[in-house]
Amino acid sequence: MTGPDSPHDLGETEFRDTVRSFEFWFEAVEGYLHGRPYGVTPGLKEAELSERQRDGLITTLCNYCVGETAALDASSGMIGFAPDRGAKVFLATQVVDEGRHLEVLLHRLGQLGVTDPDAEIEQRANRSLLKFKERLLEFVDARDWEASVFAQNVILECLEFTVFRHHAGTADPITAEMLRGIVSDERRHMGFGENDLGRRLLIAPHTHDRLYRIKRELDSLVLDTFAETLGELGIEREERPDLAGDYMAAVARLGFRS
Amino acid sequence: MTDPLEKPTPGPRPRETFELEETGFNEVPKRFRRFYRRWRGPGDKLGPNEALCPVCKVVIRSTKTLRAGDRVYCMPCMSRLELVEEDGMLVAKVIY
Repeated sequence: MTGPDSPHDLGETEFRDTVRSFEFWFEAVEGYLHGRPYGVTPGLKEAELSERQRDGLITTLCNYCVGETAALDASSGMIGFAPDRGAKVFLATQVVDEGRHLEVLLHRLGQLGVTDPDAEIEQRANRSLLKFKERLLEFVDARDWEASVFAQNVILECLEFTVFRHHAGTADPITAEMLRGIVSDERRHMGFGENDLGRRLLIAPHTHDRLYRIKRELDSLVLDTFAETLGELGIEREERPDLAGDYMAAVARLGFRS
Repeated sequence: MTDPLEKPTPGPRPRETFELEETGFNEVPKRFRRFYRRWRGPGDKLGPNEALCPVCKVVIRSTKTLRAGDRVYCMPCMSRLELVEEDGMLVAKVIY
């Protein structure tokens, strides 16, 4: 597997230090964000949306804002009790990503005619997602690393990754390009979560039962939310993606039964 | 006639070498981009030097033929993977 710059020749520690660094993050996001203000190529034409489509999209984006705000608040709080310097630096890059996601989503809401996004989010936010956010922030307040990483980087990020990826395939061109940029960030966030937790469960298998109880409590909240989101987008039940598929595969790899 | 037991046992075929071109993948620093590509969906086929990351669904590429037991890295999602053979197919498994 050798070759100049082959990532596969890196040692394990060198690989982990590289991918969790700000240097890596800068050069990675440059590839898909440079020259794209608010995540979108300048001059991309707005598609004509019916009133029903526009309203459904606004509700969906409002709920994405709730999810991204939860991740922004949680990841910034987690830096204070992250177990090592590498995790702290990675979380700092995640905070920047989540702040950007919130900003581009709010900008898109503005383009769709929303003048008071806070009021709109308050009115349209899904109750299950708000409950999820509340529980996630309780784990963060309790400085519970395993529960926080599991709730945020495995459950929330994994489901956002699936929903955003599918939505990008059916959305208007501006929303689609904005979402593709977010999906590229989500790969790092969910990969960090699964790998950190996977290593931790090997060292402390007793954590497993506690996380399983958290999973049973939280995953239905997020699954219900995103299933509803797809309904708001007008995607017929039979055409909806297997939302739970990627998520269930991730938790199965970590040793949790569905 | 040569005794078949005296014939040299066939070893694994030598690994092929691949020249990696840019694929348009832009989610890692420039110097690493040719080692990854996007998965194009159910119609897509993996080459002998490629593996699909089970975590983030990006195709990982190597300059050599991949075999069971090889370890590769998925930089876009930070995963370390080992290739295993399952039902005659090469599958990437995450190593924590």
